[in-house]
Amino acid sequence: MLEAKLDQASILKKVVDAIKDLVQDCNFDCNDSGIALQAMDNSHVALVSMALKAESFQPYRCDRNIALGLNLTSLTKVLRAAQNEDMLTLRAEDAPDSLNLVFESKADDRISEYDLKLMDIDQEHLGIPETEYAATITLPSSEFRRICTDLMALSESVTIDASKDGVKFSCTGDIGNGAVTLRSHTNVDKPELNVDIELSEPVSLTFSLKYLVNFCKASALSHQVKICLSNEVPLLVEYALENQSHLRFYLAPKIGDDE
Amino acid sequence: MRSIKTLRSDASHADAFKVGPTLFAATTSQYTLAEATSRPPQLFVLPKTATAESRVVTLQNPRYARLTRYLVCPKSGIYEFTKIAAPSAVPRSWLIESAKGQRIVTEGENGSEATVVDFEAHVTRDADIFVATPMDPLFLVLPALATTTTKSEAPKRMFLTSDDHFDSLVDSADSHLSQLLQVGKTRALLEGRMAVICDTVEAGDETMFRLNEDKLMDELLTKAGRMAEKLPKSMEERFVTRALEAPVVYKRAPAIPTEGSSDGGSALQTPMTEKSESQASLSSVGTVDSEVSQASTAATSVDLTTEEPITAAMVASEQVLKLQRLQVAFNFIVSAYVSHTFGATLKAHFAKHKSTDFKPLEEYLTELAKLKVEVMATRAATENTRKRGLEEEDDERAEKRRRKEEEEKKKKIGVSKGVRDLKKVNTSGMKKLSDFFKKK
Repeated sequence: MLEAKLDQASILKKVVDAIKDLVQDCNFDCNDSGIALQAMDNSHVALVSMALKAESFQPYRCDRNIALGLNLTSLTKVLRAAQNEDMLTLRAEDAPDSLNLVFESKADDRISEYDLKLMDIDQEHLGIPETEYAATITLPSSEFRRICTDLMALSESVTIDASKDGVKFSCTGDIGNGAVTLRSHTNVDKPELNVDIELSEPVSLTFSLKYLVNFCKASALSHQVKICLSNEVPLLVEYALENQSHLRFYLAPKIGDDE
Repeated sequence: MRSIKTLRSDASHADAFKVGPTLFAATTSQYTLAEATSRPPQLFVLPKTATAESRVVTLQNPRYARLTRYLVCPKSGIYEFTKIAAPSAVPRSWLIESAKGQRIVTEGENGSEATVVDFEAHVTRDADIFVATPMDPLFLVLPALATTTTKSEAPKRMFLTSDDHFDSLVDSADSHLSQLLQVGKTRALLEGRMAVICDTVEAGDETMFRLNEDKLMDELLTKAGRMAEKLPKSMEERFVTRALEAPVVYKRAPAIPTEGSSDGGSALQTPMTEKSESQASLSSVGTVDSEVSQASTAATSVDLTTEEPITAAMVASEQVLKLQRLQVAFNFIVSAYVSHTFGATLKAHFAKHKSTDFKPLEEYLTELAKLKVEVMATRAATENTRKRGLEEEDDERAEKRRRKEEEEKKKKIGVSKGVRDLKKVNTSGMKKLSDFFKKK
């Protein structure tokens, strides 16, 4: 039996909103440590990994490991019925065929309840090793989103160069080229605007902008985003949540294609 | 004022109505039209060779296996009738009047009693005329001789007496063949013609016949050769000239007069419509000849050779023309007088007959077909319009596409726009993540 109560429905709403444009169906794996999700896009070049730790819920109870196979568009439809401030409770049997969602309004005594049919999804899980990345860039999520959308107007891929001078996002397209360079920067009043670059060796990698823009839909989850790069390794884009919970995206770099 | 006017016009209308019936009454009283007779007189053109003993009889049609009228003269042979009719769109009538005002009515089985009756003038409903033309009796007996061909590839034909052969023809009670065989020279005539295409064996005082296809082919080829020497103009036009006509190329810039008709290099060449018609259905000009309709097609067809800037891409040689004429004549004979199944075998024989070499014609036709395809292709490209013939195919394709779309729509219900958009992303040069991360 699963019973997990979120104080704010907005967290789940935002997480699902961020994933639904990358993945169609996926399993929410529930165990005693929390709810986790891992799924790849159709092309298998991007991977999303979500972990909502048990501490994020109050209360959280999960007697057995359960896989909740959900279609994300269906889940979005139901979640739209919840207000951001509503309390959200997820309930499921041990061998469930549906997921029960209850939205409770704090202001009044309105309770709405939905049952969502589950599906069997055959998914392979990839083991993602802990990696020491050559470059780790932390920047405001809105800044990252702006860079990606701005550069997408010019090209379909971006080259990220991280060196001791800073990090440079550059692209070349049919109409011209463009580049955005960021340097480490600390804002005492507003720490969420900090830009922090940790570098062990210079890195230069190229990525599909369409995918990066897609990842940026998670910007609402967190003020800051962490971008981790190493040569010949997938890029990691991480949005940190409270209580060690996180939403991570991995994207394979473009290697050796000069179209 | 207005009201009066209308009143007046009403009155005049009433008058007109009154006049009508009275006039009609007058005509009926003066001239009474005779009722249509159930057996109206018909016009025939009979050959002079046919004697007075000639009779119109019913025999099995060798092509269509149904009863047809023939004129049989015990002395000069058998004649077939060809009906020549005006097209139904142009109604015509005959006004028939005998010069002496008399006609001879024959009665009795053998036409023994003949009486002279006054003949009134007639107006016929249709302007039909029946022309009796001599026909080879060979074709009438051919169905009997060639019966077994349909059953197997190599038929075993027996030597049979002429009577046995005739018996197989006289299935139908309505056929007059049995009576014919007893009168005059008809039997000798039929047997004589049979001997031409059959192997014969004398058995006692009787002669036995068995069909020899080689002999038959030789006979038919001679006939076809004779016919090919002078094909009727309409047939020549439709099945020889048109069938061999190459697509013409219209040159807007007549700088080079006639040089290089098939030269594709000169600019501004627009292919024009070629009037190609299949030569296959010769049966349309079968026994019932529609000369009028043919004449009209001949009239509408444009003589393309008279216009100077137009040149045909290919011109058939005299040899090719000759072969085509022979083929047309042979096909005509077979499709007019020989049953469908046996006709097919004969045509197959004809194609590989040793006496004539059809190679030049075949080569010309394949070349022509190729050229037509090319012209069609270029025309489709230049005109940039869809061809009518493809409409059906288009329907099918549209149907398929619609079904596919429906399926996709069903799939799309669970797929967000973002996921759909990502499918279009160029992922070249991107390895799959399973290459980086190992499966658990």
